[in-house]
Amino acid sequence: MIRQLPLILLLPALLVLVVWFDEPAPRSDFTWSSSSDVFTLDPQRMSYLTDMRVGSALYEGLVRFDPEQGLFVPGAATSWERSADGRSWTFHLRPDARWSDGSPVTAWDFAWSWMRLLTPDTAASYSSLFFPIRGARECWKHRNEQLKAFSERDFLDDRERIVAARRLWDDHEDRFSREVGIEVVDESTLVVHLEQPLPWLLDLLAFTPASPVYRPSVEGWPTADDPDQPWHRRDIPEWDDRAFVKIDPASGRLFQDHRWARPGRLVGNGPYLLDSWRYKRDLRLVASPTWHDADGVACETITKRTIEDPNTAVLAFESGALDWLNGVNVDYRVDMIEQQDLGHRNDIHVVPAFATDFFSFNCRPTLPGGRLNPFADPAVRRAFALTVDRDSIVEHVTRLNEPIATTLVPPGSIPGYESPRGLDRDPDRARSELAAAGWIDRDGDGLVESEDGSLFPITTLLYTTNTPRFKRMAIALREQWETELGVRIELVGKGSKFYRNDLREGDFMIARGTWYGDYGDPTTFLDLCRTGDGNNSRGFTDPMIDAALDEASTESDPSRRLKMLADVERRLFTESLPMVPICQVVDVHMFDPDRISGLSSHPRQIHQFWKVAVDDGGARGAAAP
Amino acid sequence: MRRTTGGHPLLRLIGWRLVQLPFILVIIYTLTFMLAWLIPGNPLEQPEGRRPPDEIVQAMEARYDFDDPMTFYFEYLGGITGVDWITGAGSGPVIDFGPSLRHENWTVNEILVSQLPVSIVLGLSAIMLACVIGILAGVMGSLRPGSWVDLVTLLIALIGISLPAFVTGTVLLVVFAVSLGIAPVGGWGGFSHIVLPAIALSLPFAAYIARLVRTGMLEELRSDHVRTARAKGMPERVVIYKHALKNAFLPVLSYLGPATAAAMTGSFVVEKVFAVPGIGTHFVDAVLGKDITLITGVVLVYSTLLVLLNLLVDVLYHWADPRIRIA
Repeated sequence: MIRQLPLILLLPALLVLVVWFDEPAPRSDFTWSSSSDVFTLDPQRMSYLTDMRVGSALYEGLVRFDPEQGLFVPGAATSWERSADGRSWTFHLRPDARWSDGSPVTAWDFAWSWMRLLTPDTAASYSSLFFPIRGARECWKHRNEQLKAFSERDFLDDRERIVAARRLWDDHEDRFSREVGIEVVDESTLVVHLEQPLPWLLDLLAFTPASPVYRPSVEGWPTADDPDQPWHRRDIPEWDDRAFVKIDPASGRLFQDHRWARPGRLVGNGPYLLDSWRYKRDLRLVASPTWHDADGVACETITKRTIEDPNTAVLAFESGALDWLNGVNVDYRVDMIEQQDLGHRNDIHVVPAFATDFFSFNCRPTLPGGRLNPFADPAVRRAFALTVDRDSIVEHVTRLNEPIATTLVPPGSIPGYESPRGLDRDPDRARSELAAAGWIDRDGDGLVESEDGSLFPITTLLYTTNTPRFKRMAIALREQWETELGVRIELVGKGSKFYRNDLREGDFMIARGTWYGDYGDPTTFLDLCRTGDGNNSRGFTDPMIDAALDEASTESDPSRRLKMLADVERRLFTESLPMVPICQVVDVHMFDPDRISGLSSHPRQIHQFWKVAVDDGGARGAAAP
Repeated sequence: MRRTTGGHPLLRLIGWRLVQLPFILVIIYTLTFMLAWLIPGNPLEQPEGRRPPDEIVQAMEARYDFDDPMTFYFEYLGGITGVDWITGAGSGPVIDFGPSLRHENWTVNEILVSQLPVSIVLGLSAIMLACVIGILAGVMGSLRPGSWVDLVTLLIALIGISLPAFVTGTVLLVVFAVSLGIAPVGGWGGFSHIVLPAIALSLPFAAYIARLVRTGMLEELRSDHVRTARAKGMPERVVIYKHALKNAFLPVLSYLGPATAAAMTGSFVVEKVFAVPGIGTHFVDAVLGKDITLITGVVLVYSTLLVLLNLLVDVLYHWADPRIRIA
């Protein structure tokens, strides 16, 4: 027995250890969860919705989109005006805007943060959205060429390399401030010069990647003698004195260490401060006392938990541990929605998103391996599109009754834009389109053949296997296409990495797709159909569409411009059909509307946590008063 | 005095295994790296949505040496072996697994430090729970073979082995967390968060141990030395626990090594169902996301753990039954 004692003692020792190391986090005023942890808290590098939600609590851009009013409202700027030609915008910053360390937010902060955003070294996903700023694209290209030349040069030693690399960076900084249209007039006035009028500039500036960051925090400067002094009036520390940035002697690139974005170090200008962040566990925010509207913040503390399993997340909500859950993705959500319709519950909400589900056709002349591609012919694509029964898909397959879509831009999501009508279901017309393309059932076996008697190629239908949603859609489409058109469809399910790879290489015939708009303009969707666009996986090319999009981009009358874009979309979805839209994407949320207020149901899914209020009516034993 | 030239065999065993370890790890690193590199795509790209323009993708790839596998392989090897630290090339910790490619705000070291203890605690708790349940059930069953107690324990053991953890886990959550409200739904921190996942994780191990103990006990209880002990008039408690169970426990001991490793590594499903921030989820997520640095870190740390655990079991085995030869 004595010999087994250490083993027996292990258990209590272990438990003591666990309790000692891991005290449970206190309950916040508002707790929500998402299926993945925040990827980054560096706003310039953000590209995930979850990151942006947290980002908009930590940082504040010049303007903010107010989903209730559908308007842009003052953020860090109080007012702005546009020049007559629409190419220059002047922003006046709020005099009382403060960083969380107390120093003032100035125009220099925006200029410096946007330089980060527009520098290849940062490798920000959304840089190219901001290329309409005058000179930004050229400066980006120049820096890239600079780095390429650097990597090909021979150096004597590392010292010489470092000196040369730092000189290149100084050169880039200098060039950026001279040539890129971001002009600091004074500490509280900023002018943005554009290549051409950009009706959605405010939308871009409200986007989290355009939020400012605080240079001394990001670069890890030594603490200042006078904390109230803005950084641009201080001496810029030497490279060796900046803790989180260095110029990499091997590549010549600016290397940024992300450890500045940690509790205690991260300095923001938004309504909340980062209190704690435990990887894949929870991230806690507390209201910032330095925010200009600190009194208007309802919830003092907010916790974002990470619960990967969709079922566990719903159970956590049911048990009261969560106040808000988004992206509810359990199979029985349909039954919960039915219960809600019957009046048995009121906490599940179907919210349309700024996104469309569609199936892409490969529009390239040939498939990999030189096989002939029947979908290169728009008539074949129209035939397939005319066969799709969207109503039965949203009713019986996805069972979420999403708004059906015959075009790509979600109808009603962009003020002033009138969505055209695409192709509705018409199997007879579909068969005649297919016949016009030369595919007719010549021998009566129910399958269509070409003139020389060869069968319509077996069509592969590529879907992703991460959720059952797309498999079910693909099965329904196979059924519809096979019975109506006399073609044979083969389903191919792949993991998302493999699926993306196939899309990139054009190795598919029909593939599922979803597109989330990034800013409130139809071009965020229509640019997918531009020749050579990085996201045009269909390989679709039509010079007339490209020309029409270019023409619209130089049109200065906003309503004429939207009309021109609507014409482009009509052409795309009545004639060219690079993809067949199925339905608008919906997001399923859970929250108790009697308790929680201030959550938006706008398709853009912008949630401003400082507006969220929890009314417990004393039920939860909230500390009084 | 019995003393061989090579020192104590146990020390020799330990020394030999420790010498082997770095070589094993380099081979595992090379294999892991090759397999991870074969995963299509780019870890810096999100699975859904916007694909950045090519120039941005290239900038990302260049930043992490993603355009050149050999450079990546050797530079990374320098970081994880401590060579960079010794030569002063690296500024990070001695063994530096670098930044996670999918979670760029964190280094792999930080992820391991924050999550490895969670998986170890959960795995060990589950194994201890499995031992208690399994031994009790096995002994009870073996005392009256064929009785209803025996049948019930056998049945429960069968269920424990057959039911996947996501079923038992969900049932435990629905019953104890949602309906009864006596345990939290998922998360980690404090004693209350350990109980349900530990039970869910322990069930298959408990079932296996119960069957091992039952079989062993049935044999031991019929053996000569147990009959002798009973004949000497020893109390039944002493006969069972000191004479029979001690020998019947040996197969359990040899099972405990791999079982402990499996409980700590194989808790992927349980970690997911109970939202436990352990390391098991990375075995799947990091691979799906092609997070090469995190895959490497997790695999190497676990390989080390496995080698050490196996060593520990061999040592324990020798200690429990010195007749067993170890090589």
